[in-house]
Amino acid sequence: MGEGPQSRLTQQSAGQQDVVITHEDVDRAHDRVRVSAARAQRGFSSRFRLLWLLVGPGILVMLGENDGPSMISYAATGARFGIGFFIPFVILTFCMAIVVQEMTMRLGSATHRGHAELIFDRFGPFWGWFSMIDLGIGNFLTLITEFIAIRAGLGFFGVPPWIAVGSALVFLYLAVAMHRYWTWERTLLAIAIFNLIFVPVALLTHPHWHSVGHALITWMPLPGGLSQDTLIIVLADIGATVTPWMLFFQQSATVDKGLTTKDIHLGRFDTVVGAALAAIAAVATIIATAPLFAHHMSAENFQGAEFAQALQPLIGRFGAALFALGIVEAGMVASVTISISSAYAFGEVARRPHSLNLPVTQGKSFYTVLFLCATTAGAIVLIPGLPLVYVVLLVNVVAVLAMPPALVFLFMLANDREVMGNLVSPLWANILATCVVVFLTLAGLLFGISVIAPKAFAFLGGG
Amino acid sequence: MTPKGKAPITITSSDQELVLASLEPEQLAGLKKHLIPRRRLNGTEKFVMWSLRIYLLFMIVVVVYQVFTSVR
Repeated sequence: MGEGPQSRLTQQSAGQQDVVITHEDVDRAHDRVRVSAARAQRGFSSRFRLLWLLVGPGILVMLGENDGPSMISYAATGARFGIGFFIPFVILTFCMAIVVQEMTMRLGSATHRGHAELIFDRFGPFWGWFSMIDLGIGNFLTLITEFIAIRAGLGFFGVPPWIAVGSALVFLYLAVAMHRYWTWERTLLAIAIFNLIFVPVALLTHPHWHSVGHALITWMPLPGGLSQDTLIIVLADIGATVTPWMLFFQQSATVDKGLTTKDIHLGRFDTVVGAALAAIAAVATIIATAPLFAHHMSAENFQGAEFAQALQPLIGRFGAALFALGIVEAGMVASVTISISSAYAFGEVARRPHSLNLPVTQGKSFYTVLFLCATTAGAIVLIPGLPLVYVVLLVNVVAVLAMPPALVFLFMLANDREVMGNLVSPLWANILATCVVVFLTLAGLLFGISVIAPKAFAFLGGG
Repeated sequence: MTPKGKAPITITSSDQELVLASLEPEQLAGLKKHLIPRRRLNGTEKFVMWSLRIYLLFMIVVVVYQVFTSVR
């Protein structure tokens, strides 16, 4: 790690190696002392405290992935297809996310290395750079869409675009200004939980629960059948739950938090709880906009705020305002997690300090990458006349297409006995992970066929 | 809580003891300089990785084509 002039370091022997103890290590050690103390005690309150100390990366990554474009995709799903096939489908995608994200948590806990670092070390720079290019482009495009969502959401309240983008950048700065992983994680968790704001919005629409139950059991109806439009929404909804940045973020956050192999079972719990919360918010969003489908309102060019405006006659100004706030929150939280994911990956590959425990003076490159990505993405959103609506749906589609290559790296690392020891993936996890890769690849190929030969789906009843 | 901000950061001997007692050796930031040995890929692994790379490039072309036709 780079040794800044203000991080006077002490050589200390650990085993046979001379190591440098940094400020980052000291902060992490304080966190681990609390974990050890909670683990040493018996009783319900101690168990709960241990759980409280260890949850974080899983919930954050899942609620972070319920980002601006994701919530807009779910809203578009409800408005274009109503209550039906997509409700159980979205739940299935979150089950896929659990399978994938559990592997990253296990990798981080076992190796104490970030995802980018492991790919570079184990597969070499040739494959490492492919992976980084995928991540860099995907993250940057997604960041743009987060600012689109923030701009659109705050636009509902009459906030000018430049103030909306400026506020998001200030929020990003404040979120990481604490220079302490623990404080950052707790603060962002408290904000991310507002993703569930879509639940009261859904309730305000007085959903037809019988239809919801019927959809969950039968996966029907699917209005319009299998068509290119349906496939774009299918891919957008998959991309709303499983994307490359999530792999990099959760593994790096697991390492930064300091989780070890003893924490893996609670890391799994963290991931499952995060997926459950995010699935509830996603399904609530589909239910919330389903009345637009029932009223035959065209939502093809909606950016987020338009959904709120269209819903206003049905759920009132308060409900519409909650919806718009939900879009803003989704964009704000994700702009932080995605920027951090890029900064972690850069630090891991460039072998520069990369931790939220770093003061600015010691983590200059980490914070520079973080703010540079966010500021550039925010500035792009302010360019007049940009086709923002299409970019939002397309980003999720691109994320799905980039997932299979990313998953193969993850799959191979999670089965790499030299780095994982006895913590390699069990057979059932490998079968599930293989199913996820095959499913995502087939979904992408179907999309490709629908673009090249749009009439190929006519025999299935689609357009 | 250790001091932060612009003041010089000093790591005391009690901090060192705390770190060495609480963290696993691989968790120390200084030890992450050491590379994990490179893995040798077999033929099947190379085939799968190249196939998916080609798949991604092809699909990106499809997406660009789709954007082009939609805009037109």
